[in-house]
Amino acid sequence: MATVKGCNIPDDLYYNVENNVWARREDDGTVTIGMTVYAAALAGQIVSCTPKKVGRSVEQNKSAATVESGKWVGPVKAPVSGEVVAINEAVTSSPGTINTDPYGSGWMVKLKPANWDGDSAALITGGAVAAAFEAKMNTDGFAGCA
Amino acid sequence: MEYWRVLDTGLRPPAQNIALNRALLEARQADEIPSTLRFLRFTPSALLGYHQSAEQELNLDYCKANGIAVQRRITGGGAIYFDETQIGWELYLHKRDVGTSDMQSISRRICHAAATAISALGVDARYRPRNDIEVDGRKISGTGGAFDGDALLFQGTLLIEFDVEKMLRVLRIPAEKLSDKAIASARERVANLKDLLGRQPDVGQIRRNLTEAFESEFDVEFHEDELTLSEHARYQVALREIDTSDWIALASRPASGMPILEAVQKFAGGLLRVAASFDTLTRTLRQVWFTGDIFVSPRRTIADLEATLRDTPLDKVEPRIRTFFAERQVDMLSLTPDDFIAVLRLALKQPLLMPHP
Repeated sequence: MATVKGCNIPDDLYYNVENNVWARREDDGTVTIGMTVYAAALAGQIVSCTPKKVGRSVEQNKSAATVESGKWVGPVKAPVSGEVVAINEAVTSSPGTINTDPYGSGWMVKLKPANWDGDSAALITGGAVAAAFEAKMNTDGFAGCA
Repeated sequence: MEYWRVLDTGLRPPAQNIALNRALLEARQADEIPSTLRFLRFTPSALLGYHQSAEQELNLDYCKANGIAVQRRITGGGAIYFDETQIGWELYLHKRDVGTSDMQSISRRICHAAATAISALGVDARYRPRNDIEVDGRKISGTGGAFDGDALLFQGTLLIEFDVEKMLRVLRIPAEKLSDKAIASARERVANLKDLLGRQPDVGQIRRNLTEAFESEFDVEFHEDELTLSEHARYQVALREIDTSDWIALASRPASGMPILEAVQKFAGGLLRVAASFDTLTRTLRQVWFTGDIFVSPRRTIADLEATLRDTPLDKVEPRIRTFFAERQVDMLSLTPDDFIAVLRLALKQPLLMPHP
């Protein structure tokens, strides 16, 4: 568990810091992905979320879901390539869950990864997480999670 | 001094304008173009926000019968009616141009600059959260945005000689039917530059004011230019996706999923009427109109309350109404904040009884 400027960034997840997204390798080999608590704080209250449909392929760093907050629409970029095998219907009906529980019930998409070992090499995890997010927050001029 | 580009892509059908949104945002993201201010106009169009459903937001039969093209934007926010009596302005920026990643701060900064430009025409335009520019409580410019990586697109409308009655026919909005009363209450909620100024505004002057306001806000100089070859290429690709019925149907939900709920209740302070569009999927109050035989001063209070309540999750409606009235001085004779909550609760009673999906 890492806390950076008041934001909870669990260090057992894999991150693309630039895209502000996380990935978790599940026991069945699938990869669950979502937004970080920091991304949700920058966005503000999320009012809509549309994940890509099951069966679609998503390339690494391409949109796996689209979210809207405060009239801004933007992509949530997949940390790894893969095929969408499940989407979280609960975030479609309760998009605010992404703000309140981004690593739990606010997950967005599960992928069957195309090449986890290769793609995840570009992600950071463990001890390097806190410093990487602190650097990003400083660049972004972010004061901290409320 | 940094140089940015200003474009005017003229009058176009909505599919072309939205495809250009995608093309320019991609080109900005790929660093193929400088930051850009674009002016644009639309042939008669009903434009959906990215996540909206045409069935829920529009009177599709009316649009079809009257040659109004339906399109989906790539930006967020609500459905609008856009025609030749309005102009559009858009900024394509890099995140470093705005100095923050906080999306609300970016909206506020751009809207403040646009409000300054509109005010310079001789009206008192101001930013109103969330993302409107208003004159004395009446909306004169609605805005929305999209981002991809470090590139941002922020766009706004400007109502010049807007046809309120047409808007009521095109959009499925919570007005009490299409009565003179509904048209009158719609007129109280939107402002036209022409009416405010008492003369036809000079569109060239509007463009110059906006350009100068953004120059001064971002400390840059704009140069007029044309679309680049890479933008043309990206535009052709985008148009093939966007000028299709699949794109318009991207989000499709039945109109019954967003009922317009009405209630009326008599209070000591007068008769208060409410009409609200309620999204049953997300249990969110999308839009609300209060009318009735009531006295409220300042007059703009009702419009400001309605703006505050846009897209409010059901469980936040009451606290938002209370906070709204706690934060300002309002004279309503014997009408109370509780009365607004009560009439709204009455209107929302039906979906409240439905089980959560």
